[in-house]
Amino acid sequence: MHIPDGLLPPQMVAGGYAVTGLATWYCLRQINHQGHTLENIPKASLLTAAFFVASSLYIPLPPVSVHLVLNGLLGVILGYFALPAILIGLFFQALMVGHGGLTTLGINGVLMGLPALAAYHIFQLRHGLEKFLPESWSTGICAFLGGSGGLALTVLIFIALTLVSLPTGLDPTAEHRAILVLALGHLPLILLEGIFTAMVVLFLQRVKPELLEG
Amino acid sequence: MGLIGLETYVPGRSPMHRWEPRQKLVSLMALMFALAMVQRVWLVIPMVGVTALLYRLSGLPLSFLRQRWSYPGLFILAVVILLPFTSGETVLGQWGWISVRGEGLTTMVLIVGRFFSILTLGFILFGTTPFLTIVRCLRSLGLPPLMADMALLAYRYLYDIGHTLRTMKQAMQLRGLGQRPTKRRSVAHWAMLLGNLLLRSYEQSQRVYQAMILRGYGQTTFLGGTVTTTVEQLSTGWGLTVAVLAIAVGFVVAEVSL
Repeated sequence: MHIPDGLLPPQMVAGGYAVTGLATWYCLRQINHQGHTLENIPKASLLTAAFFVASSLYIPLPPVSVHLVLNGLLGVILGYFALPAILIGLFFQALMVGHGGLTTLGINGVLMGLPALAAYHIFQLRHGLEKFLPESWSTGICAFLGGSGGLALTVLIFIALTLVSLPTGLDPTAEHRAILVLALGHLPLILLEGIFTAMVVLFLQRVKPELLEG
Repeated sequence: MGLIGLETYVPGRSPMHRWEPRQKLVSLMALMFALAMVQRVWLVIPMVGVTALLYRLSGLPLSFLRQRWSYPGLFILAVVILLPFTSGETVLGQWGWISVRGEGLTTMVLIVGRFFSILTLGFILFGTTPFLTIVRCLRSLGLPPLMADMALLAYRYLYDIGHTLRTMKQAMQLRGLGQRPTKRRSVAHWAMLLGNLLLRSYEQSQRVYQAMILRGYGQTTFLGGTVTTTVEQLSTGWGLTVAVLAIAVGFVVAEVSL
């Protein structure tokens, strides 16, 4: 789901940096307002590293192996730290495994980071839902929606970017068909990401609930 | 995971290694962005030429590049491969129902040329400069201290956490993970594995934070310190900086005015 160097036109590359820069400024402002910034830096850093490592996991679901994106889970656990964490993760991925790129770091930040922030806000809805449902249910449902919503948004942004940046002259019918296949092809992964996020979050709620307070 | 070997060639003695890090970062990034702007297919030849020249100048072996070149994602790869057959009106050649079109071929050459050139420049930058120095440079160029500290700590613990994950995976496999390929159970096992990894990372972060506080973290604003520059770096740096920036400007001018 990374957009590599050299694919997008320069206006979009610059736009990606502008949007990511603005979103990062907003996140850093929120982090400073929340307080305990210094205390949270090691936690966010180590979890960033853990997510980077975990995103290399392939889950064997016979007959295939599935590669998870985990940006929704990152948003759910790290809150406003998720965007800086994702940018650092993307920087490492471009640097170490050649996925994504340095010129497209901004646009990939938009692609992965903004949905992670949306996932965080979806997960916060659990506090409202707790009035009607048991705590574990509300946490599980909101975690599922955060995890799957995070990836669904990423897929939507990816499709929109691809539509805008694809060279003109392609057969429109074939193009629309390919994009529909791409969107439908991601549906099982979106569901799986939601289920996986809910499972991880419920496990953490059982053994270390303070990890979900961020 | 490809993490090992990133800094293997950092202690080299090439002009790229001796280049003042801040100048190197700014110049190579400017060149990367200039290359990202290239839309004219004939500019691909000088683009690849300049990249090859800079790579040669860096003294990095070709095996370093080969290990790190990666596919740009399956969807993008499929689009790029299909371009010459689906995009454009000018048919260059036809074999049965397959026809190669000029416009699609041009776009493919441009995308592939830009992709490999920018990627290679990135590897030159990071293959000849220590990661700590890169973060210091970014900090001195305006990267927020919080992000600089996060990057350094995450980088420091990446290898540790990778090792922990490998050990945990092995332990779970020895206890029967993957023996019964039931989908629901498999997802639950992997979720618990990740949950445990996050838990261990969190607990480690608490210990790290306490150790950092004891060593005075928070009294200074940034973990990495400042970039130091030697006279040798400065003298090598200016020539390369001017040359690379001039090349970057040259690409932009050629793109805009020709």
